[in-house]
Amino acid sequence: MKTMAKTETANIEVAPRSWFPPLDGGTAIMTVLIAFMGFYVLYPLTLIVINSFNTATIAEPEVYGLDAWRKAFAEPGIWRSLWNSVKIGIVLQLIALPSGIFISWLLARTNIYGANLFEFGFWISFILPNLATTFGWMLLLDPSTGLVNSWLRPLGINFDIYSFSGIIWAHLMANGISTKVMLMTPAFRRMDASMEEASRMSGASPFTTLLRITIPAMTPVIIVVFLLSVIRIFSSFETELLLGVPWGFYVYATKIVDLARQEPPLVNQAAALGSVILIFLIAFIPIQRRLIARRQFTTVTGQFKPKIIELGIWRWPATILVGFIVFLLDVVPILSVFGGSFMTRFGFFNLPKTWTIEYWKMALSDPRILQGLQNTLIIAFSAAIVGALFFSLVGYILVRTKYPGRGILDSICWLPSAIPGVLSGLGLLWMFLGTPFFRPFYGTLFLLVIASVLGGITLSTQILKANFVQLGNELEEASRMSGAGFWRTYFKVVFPLMAQTMVLVAVLKFMFAAQQTSSIILLATSETRTLSLLALDQVAAGYREVASITVIFIMLLTLGVALVARSFGLKVGIRAD
Amino acid sequence: MSFLRIQNLYKTFGQVAAVNRINLDIAEGEFFTLLGSSGCGKTTTLRMVGGLEKPDSGEIHLGDQCLAAPGKNLFIKPEKRNMGMVFQSYALWPHMTVFENVAYPLKLRGIKGADAAKKVSEVLGLVGLSGLEERPAPALSGGQQQRVALARALVFSPKVLLLDEPLSNLDAQLREEMRRELKSLQQRVHITVIFVTHDQIEALSLSDRIAIMRFGVLEQVGAPEDVYFRPATPFVRDFLGKTFLLPGKVSALSDKQVNVEVQGVGAASLAVPRANVIGSANGFPAVGQGVMVAIRPEQVDLSGNRQEGRANMVEAALQGVQFLGDRYEYAVKLGTESRVLLSPVSQGLRAGDKVLLDLKPEGMTLWPRDA
Repeated sequence: MKTMAKTETANIEVAPRSWFPPLDGGTAIMTVLIAFMGFYVLYPLTLIVINSFNTATIAEPEVYGLDAWRKAFAEPGIWRSLWNSVKIGIVLQLIALPSGIFISWLLARTNIYGANLFEFGFWISFILPNLATTFGWMLLLDPSTGLVNSWLRPLGINFDIYSFSGIIWAHLMANGISTKVMLMTPAFRRMDASMEEASRMSGASPFTTLLRITIPAMTPVIIVVFLLSVIRIFSSFETELLLGVPWGFYVYATKIVDLARQEPPLVNQAAALGSVILIFLIAFIPIQRRLIARRQFTTVTGQFKPKIIELGIWRWPATILVGFIVFLLDVVPILSVFGGSFMTRFGFFNLPKTWTIEYWKMALSDPRILQGLQNTLIIAFSAAIVGALFFSLVGYILVRTKYPGRGILDSICWLPSAIPGVLSGLGLLWMFLGTPFFRPFYGTLFLLVIASVLGGITLSTQILKANFVQLGNELEEASRMSGAGFWRTYFKVVFPLMAQTMVLVAVLKFMFAAQQTSSIILLATSETRTLSLLALDQVAAGYREVASITVIFIMLLTLGVALVARSFGLKVGIRAD
Repeated sequence: MSFLRIQNLYKTFGQVAAVNRINLDIAEGEFFTLLGSSGCGKTTTLRMVGGLEKPDSGEIHLGDQCLAAPGKNLFIKPEKRNMGMVFQSYALWPHMTVFENVAYPLKLRGIKGADAAKKVSEVLGLVGLSGLEERPAPALSGGQQQRVALARALVFSPKVLLLDEPLSNLDAQLREEMRRELKSLQQRVHITVIFVTHDQIEALSLSDRIAIMRFGVLEQVGAPEDVYFRPATPFVRDFLGKTFLLPGKVSALSDKQVNVEVQGVGAASLAVPRANVIGSANGFPAVGQGVMVAIRPEQVDLSGNRQEGRANMVEAALQGVQFLGDRYEYAVKLGTESRVLLSPVSQGLRAGDKVLLDLKPEGMTLWPRDA
């Protein structure tokens, strides 16, 4: 009894050590973080809105007026580009969403053959850069030189990929279907099979059960996937640049780049066009966030191994159908790009010399390709390292601490997912050219790194946050109880436990940074051009065979890295829940 | 006249025979329970009756209709069997209200509008959920979800109701309440029920007959009292309730009883009624044979002092006493086994005391030694 009383007094004498750094410390951290992130994310966007009312060009004294708005919207081309974006979005989703739902259901809930292999196929398609798939199909479906068209011509068909339906096709083959399958298949798989069985026992056929029970019970996931696609409508860039611009078909993103790169540049009109979408998206984000954050139906029991639906006579037809889709998504574009790099003229099999390694020789000694590779690696590695380290701290603070202002920080982190890359590029361009302090950075790789990190903020913080939530509090609390402070706990306990997730975030950021074009196209110069931008320039100049080699490099940096990471057990990808 | 007939039903998962050639006859209106521990094949049997699993061989008949006969390449799909089923997870559809969940089977049968509304409200009244029609299904408590699942399985007046461990997700108090309600409901609608459970109290209290399964085969089928008091196999004896097992030797035989000298517990003599001999065949029992006497703790009285001249008394060591409010719990060691006896009154005994156990003759069963 006596010793106990002694200990109590001893405890009282020690100054109570607060759980987290003292409140003012926390407030200081939050102030710095919010100020920094706010400046980083919000300031460039604000500049777009402000400068849409400015009639002087970048880095000149501002002259405010409504001229840019008036001129922008007097030109029918701007309205048309907006409408084209919406039209592509609608038509694409009308095809891709039902196909995605159906394929996910086949893969997750039926006894289709090779479900795991096919799921892997859709994953590959998701990882393949848009640029690569679009380019691959471009070689095959060119109206005059396309290989597939040369087979179709005797049948009286000539599918011109430089058309609206061509753009839709390229989107479907790129990420339109595969993203949906990737997001929805795991959700379908986790559904409690007894809900379907209860429907069968109630008297419903398997097909009625699919329509009335399975799909409606999956609506929360389907809505999330749909919203993610809707918000990407205005981000779509490479496909339209390659397949639309040659015949004067512009969408939102290509129009902004076109305006900003005209001579003289119409950056103010681009800003006006940007502001329209910015306002729409900022209104949309709270809705998206609420819908995504809302708790899902609890459809998981984990009680019984999910019962597989027997397809009966449809088993082989379904397998062949999905197998064919995977073939179109993965094998065809990859073969096409490789074929393109080894053929004297792609698609011409009757030339005296059909195959050649001339282009490879040329490419490997081409300083522009080597420069592009170096630029890409620098940008991708920096984005990966900064993304993983810095945003793990942001994620940790958002999940674990009670600091004031977390809501604001979280909102800032959500914003970049909705902002089309072209817009953040335009905003950064303004920030770096318009602010004397930053102007020396223009034309350096640093600017491209800044843009690349920005693009992945939402994804990084979301993955890291989810992991902190999963990790549970107690491991850290045990460290605190053992006498370690906030920072020691973060570096000695949290950091090692999160290492795998951080590597995953780094890999994802690396891949996205290595293939992006829209966010950096306005910021790059011929010295800081990445491989993706180089490929776009090569295609525009008509050097398709060399471009296919550049595209192969990009595929190695994305798909190659993803495959290596996957073989180490990392779940490279995105999830809907 | 059997209503649901299962013949030689056989089903394997990989190398394991989940259900190994079982035969069952279930009467119309009967509450029939499949009881066993997990993996014994009870749920697989139920799912084959419902059509959710296909048997490898054997036949299932309902009335004069054959539901499944792989030998004849015949299989009726679950949606054509007209059976109601309640799942362990309830499997309520989260995107529907209570009304929509219950009306779903009616809709599929072409019953709509006022007719459907009337039937739904009747069946919701039956399960005690009137007035909750418009609630979304996930907004209900566990007990309420259970009732909705029951209503959905009953609303189309199925021929058979299949219940797959429906009470196992409820907390103890609710489970007891639902158990009573389930019984009275079944008596009111007079439907044939096949009930799967691993809980012997549910099985004993609800069933008209119980089939105890183990490793895919039936150990015993019978009324609750039968299987409890006259277990046919050692597994059933040890699975249902608790038993003391006393090894001994037959010392005398008569038409009425078998006398057994029990070893190791003070050389007592037990007289087991002849009717309680299990498996009496092949010269069992005979004088001098080694046997086992089994008795349930509730057939044993604790008494402090020896009454001279009375048979069926054995000596035991009291290991501990616990007061539980409405009763006392005595842990006694008899031979090598420890068992718990309950008594409503304090006997003034302490741990370590020698006590005498009074075994009721009608509670004892006689088994061959190796069982």
